[in-house]
Amino acid sequence: MSQFTRRDFIKALAAAYPAAVLTIPKAHAASKARVVVVGGGFGGATAARYLKMMSPTLDVTLVEKNKIYTSCPLSNEVISGFGELKDLQTGYDGLKKHGINVVFDEVAAIDPAKKSVALKSGTTLAYDALVVSPGISFNYGGVEGYTQELADTVLPHAYKAGPQTLVLRKQLMDMPDGGTFIITVPKGPFRCPPGPYERASQVAAYLMANGKTKSKVVILDANDSFSKKGLFEQAWKKFYPDMIKWVSGANDGNVIKIDPKTRMAYTNFGEHKADVLNVIPPHHAGNVAVSAGLANDKGWCPVDMLTMESSLHKDIWVVGDSCVHGELPVYAAPKSAHMAVTQAKVAAGAIIAKLNGQPAPEPFFVNTCYSIAAPDWGFSVVHVYRVEDGKLMYVKDAGGISPIETPALAVQRKLEARYAEGWLRNIMADAFA
Amino acid sequence: MRYRVVFGMILAGLLGSAYAEDKTEALAITCNNCHGVDGVSVGPNMPSIGGLPESYLKNILLEWKAGTRYSATMGRLVKGYSDEQIAALAAYFSKKPWTPAAQTTDPKLVALGKKVTARCAGCHGETGNAGDGDTPNLNGQWAEYLELEALKYRDDAVAMPNKQMRKAAQKLSEEDVKAVAEFYASQKK
Ligand SMILES: Cc1cc2nc3c(=O)[nH]c(=O)nc-3n(C[C@H](O)[C@H](O)[C@H](O)COP(=O)(O)OP(=O)(O)OC[C@H]3O[C@@H](n4cnc5c(N)ncnc54)[C@H](O)[C@@H]3O)c2cc1C
Ligand code: HEC
Ligand code: HEC
Repeated sequence: MSQFTRRDFIKALAAAYPAAVLTIPKAHAASKARVVVVGGGFGGATAARYLKMMSPTLDVTLVEKNKIYTSCPLSNEVISGFGELKDLQTGYDGLKKHGINVVFDEVAAIDPAKKSVALKSGTTLAYDALVVSPGISFNYGGVEGYTQELADTVLPHAYKAGPQTLVLRKQLMDMPDGGTFIITVPKGPFRCPPGPYERASQVAAYLMANGKTKSKVVILDANDSFSKKGLFEQAWKKFYPDMIKWVSGANDGNVIKIDPKTRMAYTNFGEHKADVLNVIPPHHAGNVAVSAGLANDKGWCPVDMLTMESSLHKDIWVVGDSCVHGELPVYAAPKSAHMAVTQAKVAAGAIIAKLNGQPAPEPFFVNTCYSIAAPDWGFSVVHVYRVEDGKLMYVKDAGGISPIETPALAVQRKLEARYAEGWLRNIMADAFA
Repeated sequence: MRYRVVFGMILAGLLGSAYAEDKTEALAITCNNCHGVDGVSVGPNMPSIGGLPESYLKNILLEWKAGTRYSATMGRLVKGYSDEQIAALAAYFSKKPWTPAAQTTDPKLVALGKKVTARCAGCHGETGNAGDGDTPNLNGQWAEYLELEALKYRDDAVAMPNKQMRKAAQKLSEEDVKAVAEFYASQKK
C-alpha cells in the first residue's frame, strides 16, 4: 500500500515543525545500527524479519545452530501419525531474501559489557542491540537416571521437535495392545502449557485408530492442574473413555527418578511401569542466555514487560520461551510460539525506537494456543493484554478458553481443529518466509 | 512493504488521526501470525483479510465484540479491543490489496460451482468480487475456509446474523457447498 518514505516523512515533518524539533540522533541512527539475533526459532526469526521490515537499512545478523528449523507446534500430531515432520520444517532462505545476514553457527558466549557475541567458529560479532531467543535448555539432572544421551537414543523427550519426535512415534507404533504409555510432566512453568496433555490425547487417538484399545496413557504430573483441563477431560471422556489417567502432583504424580533399563518411573511414594516412557525433563532459559547472566535464580530471563529489554543487562532484548514476561500468574505469558512472535514484534519496535532515541511505542500482546485432542476436535485458549499504569494486564472481558458447552459443539471443535493448521502455516510464514 | 514505527508515530500525531497510525500498525501486525503478512493468508483454512471492504470488516468485528455473531476463535480476541481500535483495523486492512490465494482447484467442481453460483451473483458478482462495501470478497479466498464458513451459515444452532446469506447457504446441497467453494477459490479477478 501507500509507501511513505523517510524522505517524504522528513519533508512532512519539516513543513509542520521548526527544524529544531528534529531530534533523531545522528550517531545512533537506526540505519547504521547493528542488531544481532541469537537463535532462529519462532522468536528470533520473527524479530529479525520485523526489524528489517520496520527499518530496512538496519544491519541484522541472525545466528542459528541448525540449517533446518522444525516447529514444535503440531509435532504431537506427528507422534500419532496424523501429521508429517517434513511439513513442520523450514530453512532460512526467506530471511536471507529480506536482506538478513543468516549465520549458521553456535553462539558460544555473550559479553554484555563489550556488547559482543562470540561464535563457536571463532568469529566475534559486535552489536548495538542484541535479541536473545534461544528457547529452552533441559535440566536432565532434574530426573535422576535421565540423561541427554538417553534422550537422544532410547528415551526421547521430544519436547524439542526433530529426530526425537520420530523415535517416539516409532516406539508408540511398536507398543503392543495393553501397553502403558507414560508421560511425565515437570513443575511449571514449562514450554507449551497444554503440550503434554495434547500429546496424551494424540497418543490415545493413535491407539484408538489402530485398535489398541486395551492400552493406557498415564500422565505423571508434578502440577496440580493444567491448561484447558476441562476441555481436555471432556474430550478424553468422549473419545477415549478410561484410557487416559492423569495423576496430579498432590496425588504423588511428581516423577523424581527413572530406571531406563526397566522403564520404571519413580515418584516419592510410588512406582509406575511403562512400555513407552516419555520423560519431559524440567527446563529453563537457553543455556547461552543463562551463562550471559540474563537469567534469575529460577533459570528464566526477566524483562521489562513493555519492551522485552532485559532487566539485568541493557541493550539486550530476550523474547520467547527464555524470558519471564511480567509479574503475572503462571500461565499469564505462556511459553508458546504465538507469544514468542508477539514478543519479538514488540521487541523490534522497541529496539528501533531506542536506537533512534525515541520512547518505546505502546506494545500489543496477544496469545492463542490451539490444541487438537482428537481428529476434528480442537480448542483454544486466548489471552489479550493491555497496558495499564505501565503494567501488562489481561483484558478481563476478552480471551479465555473455547466454550465447554455450546449449541453446535461439533462444529466449534471441528473449526478450531482446522484453524490450528491454518494458524501454523501463517505463523511459520510470518516468521520465516 | 515498510513499517514505519517511529516515523509513523510522530506523523500520526501531526495529522491528528482518530487512532494513531503507528499504533494501528503495531496492533495490526499481531494479526499477521494467523492471517498472514498484510492479511494475505497462506493457510488454506484461515481467511485472507487484506483488501476486504472496510464496512464489512468493521461490521463483523463489532458483531463479534457484541457477541451477536458466532465465531470459533475471533470473538474472544476482538473483545480485547476498543471500538476505535476496531475501526482503525478495518480501515488498515481494507487499504491492503486483495490477493487471491494460489491454490489448486478441481475443474469438475469449479464447473459445477459456476452453475450453482448463478443465483448468488446478484449479491456476490459473477466471480465473487461484489465490489460493494458490505459483501466480502470470495474470489480467490481459500476454498477450505469458504467451506467452513458455509458450515456456520447452514447450521441453525450457529448464530450468524445475516438472514439472507443463511437462507442462500441452507438451500445448497452438500456437493454444491464444495463446488461453490472451489469455484470462488479459483477466481482470480
Ligand atoms: C510438543 C510441543 C507442542 C507445542 N505446541 C505449540 C502450539 O500449538 N502453539 C504454540 O504457540 N506453541 C507451541 N509450542 C511451544 C513453542 O514451540 C515454543 O514456545 C516456541 O518454539 C518458542 O520459540 P523460541 O524462539 O523461544 O524458541 P525455539 O523455537 O526453541 O528456538 C530457539 C532456537 O535457538 C537456537 N539456539 C539455541 N541456542 C543457540 C546458540 N547458542 N547458538 C545458536 N542458536 C541457538 C535453536 O537451535 C533454536 O532454533 C509447543 C512446544 C512443544 C514442545
Ligand atoms: C489466533 C489466530 C487469529 C488471530 C491472532 C486473529 N485472527 Fe482473525 N480469524 C481467525 C479465525 C479462526 C477466523 C475465522 C472466524 C472464527 O473465529 O470462527 C478469523 C476470521 C477473521 C475475519 C473474517 C474474514 C472473513 O472473510 O469474513 C476477520 C476480518 C479477521 N479475522 C480479522 C482479524 C484481525 C483484524 C486480527 C488482529 C487484530 C485477527 N483477525 C487476528 C483467527 C485469528
Ligand atoms: C442477498 C445477498 C446474498 C446472496 C443471495 C448470497 N450471499 Fe453470500 N454473503 C452475502 C453477505 C452480505 C455476506 C456477509 C454476511 C455476513 O456478514 O455474515 C455473505 C457471505 C458469504 C460467505 C462467507 C464469506 C466469508 O468471508 O466469510 C460465503 C462463503 C457466501 N456468502 C457464499 C454465498 C453463496 C455460495 C451464495 C449463493 C448460493 C450466496 N453467498 C448468496 C450476501 C449474499
